[in-house]
Amino acid sequence: MVTKLEQPKGGFNFDNYQRNVALEKKGITFPKMTKTGTTIVGLIYKDGICLGADTRATAGPIVADKNCEKIHYLAPNMYCCGAGTAADTEFTTALISSQLELHRLTTGREARVATALIMLKQMLFRYQGHIGAALVLGGYDVTGPNLYTIHPHGSTDKLPYVTMGSGSLAAMAVFESKWRKDLERQEAIDLVREAIESGIFNDLGSGSNVDVTVIEKGKIDVYRNYAKPNERGVKEQSYKFKRGTTAILKESIRDIVAITEGIEEMDIS
Amino acid sequence: MPLKAGEVNLGTTVMAVKFGDGVIIGADSRTTTGAYIANRVTDKLTPVHDKIFCCRSGSAADTQAIADIVRYYLEMFAIKDGEDPTVQSASALFQELCYQNKDNLTAGIIVAGWDKYEGGSVYIIPLGGSLHKQPFAIGGSGSTYIYGYCDTAYKEGMTREEAIEFVRTAIALAISRDGSSGGCIRLAVITQQGVERIFTPGDKLPKFWQDELKL
Amino acid sequence: MNPVTLYNNDIFTNVPVEAPVERNFYPYADNGGTSLGIAGADFCLMASDTRKSSGYSIHSRYSPKAFKLTEKAVLATNGFAADGLALTKRLGQKLEWYKHAHDKEMSTPALAQMLANTLYYKRFFPYYTFNLLGGIDEQGRGVLYSFDPVGSMGTEVCRAGGSSAALIQPFLDNQVALKNQQGVQQTPLSLEAAIRITKDSFTSATERDIYTGDYLEIFIIRQEGTTIERIDLKKD
Repeated sequence: MVTKLEQPKGGFNFDNYQRNVALEKKGITFPKMTKTGTTIVGLIYKDGICLGADTRATAGPIVADKNCEKIHYLAPNMYCCGAGTAADTEFTTALISSQLELHRLTTGREARVATALIMLKQMLFRYQGHIGAALVLGGYDVTGPNLYTIHPHGSTDKLPYVTMGSGSLAAMAVFESKWRKDLERQEAIDLVREAIESGIFNDLGSGSNVDVTVIEKGKIDVYRNYAKPNERGVKEQSYKFKRGTTAILKESIRDIVAITEGIEEMDIS
Repeated sequence: MPLKAGEVNLGTTVMAVKFGDGVIIGADSRTTTGAYIANRVTDKLTPVHDKIFCCRSGSAADTQAIADIVRYYLEMFAIKDGEDPTVQSASALFQELCYQNKDNLTAGIIVAGWDKYEGGSVYIIPLGGSLHKQPFAIGGSGSTYIYGYCDTAYKEGMTREEAIEFVRTAIALAISRDGSSGGCIRLAVITQQGVERIFTPGDKLPKFWQDELKL
Repeated sequence: MNPVTLYNNDIFTNVPVEAPVERNFYPYADNGGTSLGIAGADFCLMASDTRKSSGYSIHSRYSPKAFKLTEKAVLATNGFAADGLALTKRLGQKLEWYKHAHDKEMSTPALAQMLANTLYYKRFFPYYTFNLLGGIDEQGRGVLYSFDPVGSMGTEVCRAGGSSAALIQPFLDNQVALKNQQGVQQTPLSLEAAIRITKDSFTSATERDIYTGDYLEIFIIRQEGTTIERIDLKKD
């Protein structure tokens, strides 16, 4: 007897999931995602929030990007540092940013940081940690300066100084010893820079430059590459090849212009 | 249920006690990811309405999500009914969420508060999602160390001061034995009059015989 | 009394037995780092960075892994640093014995063969090291040998080993062995050019490999003797 198998119409198909689990068991490794083995920090000072990040993105032991941006725009009064899977941090912040813009347009008010927080944490919780985004959220709204951390599973903390990423321990060591209440603007920037540099030099997942963003009431300053403590020196010699160094294995010149007579009728059957 | 990899854990000591005028709730302030203390001044005493709080233990993400949902529902109830929700209502809501989603949650929650029908009351919802009304409740990883103390020291109808001292001592004892609990002690007194918070910093915790040892 | 009731047989039969928990002790680590060797006509150049790390942590910024074994040979070890040190110590001892027995220093080709034997001796509990041995032979020519962890030996003109091997080796093949270059004159590589290529190899590897950095040590082995040069690399 022949059993006729019905092809399901519509709906989700999880065949690939089963296949991938089976392949993984056989020892096949899947393509590595770019992780921002990162140092990101944020602190509250007298007049606002100061955020900081390093600029290294890694794929395993290889540096994938030497000068990437990890402080993402969220709203005119909010920025968000991302650590973890690079794509996840970029797309979650972009998605929430767009939702916040619509929120601002419908309410006619500046969005609050707590609103962004709830949107981010509910999205991450819904995905049960599969979206690998660890975030530092900072902003200034009607309630004043606000600073939060958000973990990939959707838990949040509200603290006066925070660090995240693989360099978070190195950076937190700096904050725990030097942070105090009511820092001046320049003191805050200097401390953030020191915390990020601590991550850059002591954590292999972090490196290259320091990005800083300062958020005050009605004013945001983005300092891209605020510090560059790792400039590459000049090379010993030039490696420009002489013309003709690359061997030509085969050469053929063809006429690629197709000449047709008249105009053919288009087939519209 | 084991925590998911990299999940933030509230390796915790939390408790709540009924006394004459209402309830006292208390908690340590440590949040951990593995061996790292992600937050040393956590507030695990989470308000879900004016005079109803929950003490969270287990996964930080799960318990925050649950508390957020319950807070939303209680707000809606209050508006619809035109009066404050009862602690019993709140605990039933918590139980519903914890029981129906038990396969996906790591959440041990104590619900405590004051309402005009019962006065102060304490409910505990352990991991499976059962609901128990008790004169006092302890929860979290640190609670295992203080069952003996609590059963010995608890008295019915304590005064406000006696109850505060009971909770503070119990949590300090748990902190001293449980590595996943620590930091400072947060207390809240919930009565008809409202909520009063009491903060005990980490260097002002009650001392016990071991702390006095001079070697 | 029925003796059977004396014992609760349930405890022997009805107790759920949990699967045994497997505990693994892994005796090896990868401490990163990169080495490079170039054999010239009358010299040999051996270079290593000095960073020692594992995971995302730097254990040491200056922990050399290239060692002068004789007046005419330098060994660069990569892989598991503890084994590299143990192996170096063992070779040093064997060389000392050789000197006392024969009243002369071991030649570099002999040392290479001894290293291969020493590695194969531990075939089933290997030294987890990827070695490069460079120096000059008894005729004063530059020689370079590479080894796998269990003693397979090869003779090379230029070789990169360690965490940046895959980044540097193609560059060396192109610039030292002049592979894939049409119409270049095959003049013998000068020491100065070798040093320049070595420095550029390491500064470039430091840019892209998180396990390479901090300092670079370059050994230059010639008939007259061995010199060492230390250079700063980036520390992020």
